[in-house]
Amino acid sequence: KNSAKKVLAAGAVVCVESEIRGEVTIGARTVVHPKARIIAEAGPIVIGEGNLIEEQALIINSYPENIAPDSEGVEPKTMTIGINNVFEVGCMSQAMKIGDNNVIESKADLGRNMILTSGCIIGACCQVNTCEVIPENTVIFGSGCQRRVQTERPQPQTLQLDFLMKILPNYHHMKKTVKTTSAVTPAKN
Amino acid sequence: MASLLQPDRVLYLVHGEKKIRSPLSTLYFCRYCSELRSLECVSHEVDSHYCPSCLENMPSAEAKLKKNRCANCFDCPCCMHTLSTRATNIPAPLPDDPSKTTMKKAYYLACGFCRWTSRDVGMADKSVASGGWQEPDNPHTQRINKLIEYYQQLAQREKLERDRKKLARRRPYMPLAFSEKYGLGTRLQRQRPGAPITSLAGLSLKEGEDQKEINIEPAQALDEVEPLPEDCYTRPINLPEVTSLRQRLLQPDFQPAGASQLHPKHKHLLIKRSLRCRKCEHNLSKPEFNPTSIKFKIQLVAECQVLLTLTNPVENITHVTLVGCEEGDPEDINSTAKVMVPTKELVLAGKDAAADYDELAEPQDFQDDPDVVAFRKSNKIGFFIKVVPQREEDGDVTVSFKIRHDFRNLAAPIRPSEEGDAPTEAIWLTHHVELSLGPIIA
Repeated sequence: KNSAKKVLAAGAVVCVESEIRGEVTIGARTVVHPKARIIAEAGPIVIGEGNLIEEQALIINSYPENIAPDSEGVEPKTMTIGINNVFEVGCMSQAMKIGDNNVIESKADLGRNMILTSGCIIGACCQVNTCEVIPENTVIFGSGCQRRVQTERPQPQTLQLDFLMKILPNYHHMKKTVKTTSAVTPAKN
Repeated sequence: MASLLQPDRVLYLVHGEKKIRSPLSTLYFCRYCSELRSLECVSHEVDSHYCPSCLENMPSAEAKLKKNRCANCFDCPCCMHTLSTRATNIPAPLPDDPSKTTMKKAYYLACGFCRWTSRDVGMADKSVASGGWQEPDNPHTQRINKLIEYYQQLAQREKLERDRKKLARRRPYMPLAFSEKYGLGTRLQRQRPGAPITSLAGLSLKEGEDQKEINIEPAQALDEVEPLPEDCYTRPINLPEVTSLRQRLLQPDFQPAGASQLHPKHKHLLIKRSLRCRKCEHNLSKPEFNPTSIKFKIQLVAECQVLLTLTNPVENITHVTLVGCEEGDPEDINSTAKVMVPTKELVLAGKDAAADYDELAEPQDFQDDPDVVAFRKSNKIGFFIKVVPQREEDGDVTVSFKIRHDFRNLAAPIRPSEEGDAPTEAIWLTHHVELSLGPIIA
């Protein structure tokens, strides 16, 4: 398990205080705040470009509930996360497939069997644990997890990402990124 | 304190039109009647109108004209949150030179909670930040206004006829000025028995004005109704497009069935109310006029006047006697246990705000019976009672007794004291208290 490789593409800004366990690939221009946790237990996690993962967010590829961690014949499934997503403070996501331009607001809770397409917004404190594909541009909000469809997808947070990529290295140490994408060497930590 | 954290443990009985038992924190104390008052035995009056989001005060006449809605703020038609105005930059051609484009600001309304925007219903972006948004007109407004005028006239005519039938000719101008605003709210309206109490009476015209005859046509009944579309049963429903009942009914003019016709409405105003004792007509609670201020001009809350669970809120020495309820006491309906209260009188020192900081204060010199008094600290006292539960089954043990204490009315009007002795006299007040002690543990 110690040979799990972490590939942080050049241009990714990942703070040292964040916890990254297992086989994780992070794309360019993605910002991972301190105290964010990305845990790849039951399989690798691939995160695309331009994502914003804020403090105390938890992205975890965990075993399904009825399978013990050490049982035989369990194939590791990869969790994929697309580009320009925002994981706000304190959210937890176990969804195996997340598309582009989604926003998961603070303290939201996504179950393992969800699939987010594009432009979805999961509102603050909403716990969604159904087995379905959320259609594009859906907004889930409110204490009863009401849904509606919005006409325009949320904008990518380019301004915020640029600002953070400039300011965060002034105050935090960053994890090492690979120089070129072809050379995949196991990084320390 | 039980009053703040567990409000329902100690209940006081209020002798009003209905016997109400409620915690002291929700009660008021009328110091002119020297009685407890609950929210049900006071009259509620509207003091002022204000918008909850922009906190702007609105005079009552203007509020009535605008149907109690704010002029600047909007509610999201989807989730009823307050809408905020957002700006974008759009390229627009310069008026002088159509080929060059410059960035202009365009404003649209957006909801931060459900992400609804005004562009969803097709409302164009406005070039001014506020004041550019209009609610759509109701197509039936003209007909409704005409009907209202006709019925106003009818109501006024009926009122005049009823007045003529009475023998005593009352002067109508004073009550009319009040009735125009609030109908049943004010005292003069209530005290007239047999007065016509219709909601339209407040809208009547003043006497002496020209009364033109308004005729209305009755509504036409149609034989043919628009048929349902043919694919009504077979067309698949687009669920996000269907409005919920609450969204529909918040727009009673249109009640749209589709979400693309949900237009934002102006925000509803809230009121500040003042409370008035029904017997002596004095104000018990009067809020400040400024919407941003939460203080009160007059606030006679019971906690400041009546003894709490033996914490003395007033500054004088107070004597308290506890008396158990006798058999067959008509007010004693809830107690499930018998209580033996101490028979002696308990003395409480006054509340002294500086006592905590004064190190040289003399220790209080009360002779306390250790069987009765557990501890004493400044203006608080802890005492023992014996409780014998009457019922075997699991349930809450509730105990009731009467507490009798002396009360000095510091705010009574100062009578010209020729004798020169103490102007305030003590009155003895008795309250019926119910105490919920919790469940029995076997």
